[in-house]
Amino acid sequence: MKISKKIIDNLKKGGVDFYLSVPCKLLANMIDILEKDNDVYYSAVPREEEGMGICAGAYLGNKFPCIMMQNTGIGNSVNAIVSLLQLYQMPVVFLISYRGTPGEPVGAQGGMAKITEDILQTLRIPMLHCSSENDLEKISTFSKHAKVVESPVAILCDFNLMKDDK
Amino acid sequence: MNRFDLLNKIQNILKDNLVICNIGLPSQELYKINDQPNFFYMLGSMGLSSSIGLGLSLSQNKNVISIDGDGSVLMNMNTLATIGNRAPSNYTLLIIDNGSYGSTGDQRTFTDENTSLKDVAIGAGCKNVVECSGDETVNELSKAIDDQNNSYVIISKINSGNVKIDPIPLNPITIRDRFRKFIGIVKYL
Repeated sequence: MKISKKIIDNLKKGGVDFYLSVPCKLLANMIDILEKDNDVYYSAVPREEEGMGICAGAYLGNKFPCIMMQNTGIGNSVNAIVSLLQLYQMPVVFLISYRGTPGEPVGAQGGMAKITEDILQTLRIPMLHCSSENDLEKISTFSKHAKVVESPVAILCDFNLMKDDK
Repeated sequence: MNRFDLLNKIQNILKDNLVICNIGLPSQELYKINDQPNFFYMLGSMGLSSSIGLGLSLSQNKNVISIDGDGSVLMNMNTLATIGNRAPSNYTLLIIDNGSYGSTGDQRTFTDENTSLKDVAIGAGCKNVVECSGDETVNELSKAIDDQNNSYVIISKINSGNVKIDPIPLNPITIRDRFRKFIGIVKYL
């Protein structure tokens, strides 16, 4: 719970006040925290690409949105990221559980893990890779950076960082 | 009645509300009929008009109308479940259902065969789902906007067919900023 709380605290400190998720077991604690938090909006959504659209609308309505998802969700969202969020220069934080990184028990997650950072790099999306608790302090500044550069940004949280966050 | 005729008929309702307009010909036709700063024209991301409008309606209090098409809703059908569970009362989804992919040359969609978006919307949990003719749409859309307590999904059944039209000569940042200025967020321009 400590890691999840720190992530949400830092996102909120960075101004993020609108959250969506396509669930992942590594995100479960964060979802619990957000569901009990009356200061911010939270909802689950069925698909990441749709979530990108909702985030775009939330930005137009003066919210600072974050979508939480597995790295597989980036694969589901490439056109929405390029032809909506980047085309109109909309700041959105992607909080990504980085499945398929060391510690991952499900072999099939390895495929998307191998290309996740390449995809984000190809899309020119600034990345913050969190592999230890110390990295989480950078999340608030990094989130604010999304607003300054009017761009989506991606925060990648390693499997081993999240897995024991009971 | 085709889409251009319908957009002409409802323009007086649209001009007083925040409008998210579907990519391609719907946006180009709306731009030609009566361009307004409170119209957000989609230049990409087919399928997401309903979602952008939903996010906007959850984030501020003005009425929001998402103008979508049958082909686009078929592409992002999970949106109806999200709307069915989360849409606030200031949200109206207007699906212009002409049974065809208008912007790509009027190929038939599944709503011209076996699929009923009305039934899908009801099954997905949407309240106040109305299927109507093009002529009835003005009245139904007015009712939806005037009702401050409920969200609506209106499926307007019209004929396919397009008018000859040019791309929208606005860049995306202009569309974004004048829209946000209308809401009162962006102060410059």
